[in-house]
Amino acid sequence: MATNSIDRNIKTSGWEFVTKTVDKRALIKNQKPDPREELAELEARGEVKVIHITEENQPITVETLLGRTKRIPTNKLWHHKSCGQCGNIPGYPTSIMWFMNKMGLEYLDETHQTSCTAWNYHGSGTSNLVALASVAVRNWHRAYETGYFPLIHCGTSFGNYKEMRNLLIEHKDLRDEVRRIMHKVGRELVIPEEIVHYSEWLHVLRDRVAAMRIHDVSNIVTTVHPACHVWKLIPEDVIYDPNIYGGERPAPTTAILLALGAQVADYSTWYDCCGFGFRHILTEREFSRSFSLERKIKVMVEEAHSDVAITQDTGCTTTLDKNQWIGKAHGYNYDLPVMADVQFAALAAGADPYKVVQIQWHTSGWQKLLDKMGIDWQSSKAAYEAYLEELRAGKEPEQLYIPPVEQPV
Amino acid sequence: MSHDNDTVTHLRLDPDDVGQQDAQSLLEAIQSDLRYEEVIHGCLNCGVCSGSCPSHRFFDYSPRIVVQTVLSGDAEAVKAMMDEYIWACAQCYTCAMRCPFHNSPGGLVMIMREVAVWRGMEAVHRLLKPYGRVLLKVLSIGNQLTPDMIQPDFFPDWGPKIPWSSTDLAIKRKAIPVYTLQVTTSAWRVSPETSYELYSIYEETGVFRLIEEIDPNLYEVVADMVEDLRDMVESSR
Repeated sequence: MATNSIDRNIKTSGWEFVTKTVDKRALIKNQKPDPREELAELEARGEVKVIHITEENQPITVETLLGRTKRIPTNKLWHHKSCGQCGNIPGYPTSIMWFMNKMGLEYLDETHQTSCTAWNYHGSGTSNLVALASVAVRNWHRAYETGYFPLIHCGTSFGNYKEMRNLLIEHKDLRDEVRRIMHKVGRELVIPEEIVHYSEWLHVLRDRVAAMRIHDVSNIVTTVHPACHVWKLIPEDVIYDPNIYGGERPAPTTAILLALGAQVADYSTWYDCCGFGFRHILTEREFSRSFSLERKIKVMVEEAHSDVAITQDTGCTTTLDKNQWIGKAHGYNYDLPVMADVQFAALAAGADPYKVVQIQWHTSGWQKLLDKMGIDWQSSKAAYEAYLEELRAGKEPEQLYIPPVEQPV
Repeated sequence: MSHDNDTVTHLRLDPDDVGQQDAQSLLEAIQSDLRYEEVIHGCLNCGVCSGSCPSHRFFDYSPRIVVQTVLSGDAEAVKAMMDEYIWACAQCYTCAMRCPFHNSPGGLVMIMREVAVWRGMEAVHRLLKPYGRVLLKVLSIGNQLTPDMIQPDFFPDWGPKIPWSSTDLAIKRKAIPVYTLQVTTSAWRVSPETSYELYSIYEETGVFRLIEEIDPNLYEVVADMVEDLRDMVESSR
C-alpha cells in the first residue's frame, strides 16, 4: 500500500528512476523564473491588472514541486465549470458545491462563462494561441469584475490556463493582441495571481472534509489516476508533499483519500494517461478502449486489487468509466467503479448518492462499492425515482445553489 | 460576418493562407510560432519520450521521430508527417514531463497540427469530419461536450447503460440540484452576452474565417446561429 512511500516493486521500475534522476533533477537544477514574480513586475509597471488572492479568500499555503509556495484560496470562489463534467459527470460539480455549502463557503456559479475551448484545440487544432489566451482572459476578467477568485474545475482548463498565463507574462506582443481583443468586447487584460484547480482546493481542506466523514472507508482499496494535464503540463506548479509518496509524486487526491482513512494502493502504471487522447475518444476509439483497459483498469484490478479508481479530471473519469463494458468482447470482465475524488469524499461524508453525487450517470458498476461503504443506495434510488415523477408532474426542482439575479454584462 | 485583416504571423496563422502547402512554408510556419523555442531545445535522440508515449504502444508513432524530423530541416519529411502521423499523439505530455532537454514533443505536435489545419491539408478534412458536433458546440456556445451528445447510436461500445443517459433527459437534468446545469443542449446555461463576446474573439482571431475555408457547410450553420444571437443581444440593449 502506498501511503508515505512508494511500493518497492514499482520503485525499481524505469519510471521512478526517470522521475527522480531526470525530471526532478533537471527541473530543480535548471529552474525557470517564477512567472508570479514576473507578473508582479508587470503589475508594478502598470502593464497588467492582477486578480489577487485576498484575506477574504482565506488562502492556505502549500509547497509545489520546486519548493515554491502556492496560496490556494478556499473561499469566495468563482466556479469555472468544466463542459465534460457538467455535460457527462454532473455529480462532479454538484459534489464540490455540496461541500462548499456544508463548510459555509461563499461562491458564485453563473452563466457568464465559456469553457476554455482547449479540449477542441488539442483534438482538432481549429483554434490558435491568441484565441485560447483571449478565451482565458475573458473568463478571468468576468471573475475579476464579480470580486470572486476563479476556481478551475477541469484539468485541461487548469493546464491550459497555466500555459496561457505563462505565455502572456513572457510575451508582450501576445499581451498586446489579447488586450486589443478584450477592448473590443469591453474587457481588460487581467491575470490571476495563481491558477487553482479544484483538486488543490480539496487538498488543502482535506482535514475539514475528512471530519465530515460518516461512513467507514478503511476497508476500501482505492487506486489514483493523476490527470496528465493537471501534473504534466507546467509541472513545476503542482503540489508535492513529503508525506505523500515521499514527495516524489503529486499530493492532491491521494492525500484526501488518506485523510478519509481509505487505503491507497500503488500500481505500476500510475503515471500513464487514461487513453482519452482528446481526438481519440471520438475518432480513434479503439485506442482509448485498448489503452484504458490494458494500461489502467487491468492493472488497477489485477495488480492493486482496487475497489474503485479515483480520478481528478474530466476526460479521465469518462474514459476509464465508459470503456470497460466493451472489454467483454475480448474476455475482460472488469467492472471497476470510477469517480472523482470529490465524489468519493461526498459519498463518505453522507451525500445522497443519486441526488447529490449523481452516481447513476456512471457506467461501470458502483453498487458493490457503495454496499462495502455501508451506503443505502437502494433507498436513494427509490427517492430519486419518486423525485423524477414529481418533476414530471411539474414540481420545481430542488437546488443546492441558485445564482443571484444576473445583471446584463 | 466580417473578416479579419491584420495577422500577427508568429502568434497565429492567416486563414487566407489555407491551401498554401509548399513544404518549406509549412516548416517555416512551424518554426516561426512563438512557442517553438519553448518546446524544442535540442535532442539527444535518447528516446525517453517514446518509451513512455501511450500512442507509441498502439500506433506507428514516435515523438522522438517527430522531434528529429523537424530538427533535421527536411521540409518534405515534415510535411508528410503532418498528413497523418502526428494525429496519433494523445496530447498527454508525458514526453514533456520526461525529456531531459525540457523539450515538449507534445507541444511541437500541437503547433504542427495547428499549421496543418490552418493550411487546409488534405488529411484535415478527413480527420475533422467526426468532429463536427464538437465544433458546432464550441463555436456556438463555447461548450465542447453537452448532455444531448451522449447517444447510444454514437457510443454503442459504452454499453447498455448509455440509453438511460439519453432518455427522459430534460427531467433527469432538472433533477441535478444546480440551476446552471438544468439544461440539455449545453453543459451549463450560457448567457447570450457571453456567446456574443466569444463570437468577437473567434472573429478577431480568424477562427470563423478558418472554418469558412475548411468546412463551408458547418460555417453556414454557425453563421446563421451567430447572426440570430447577435440580433437578439443587440435588440435587447
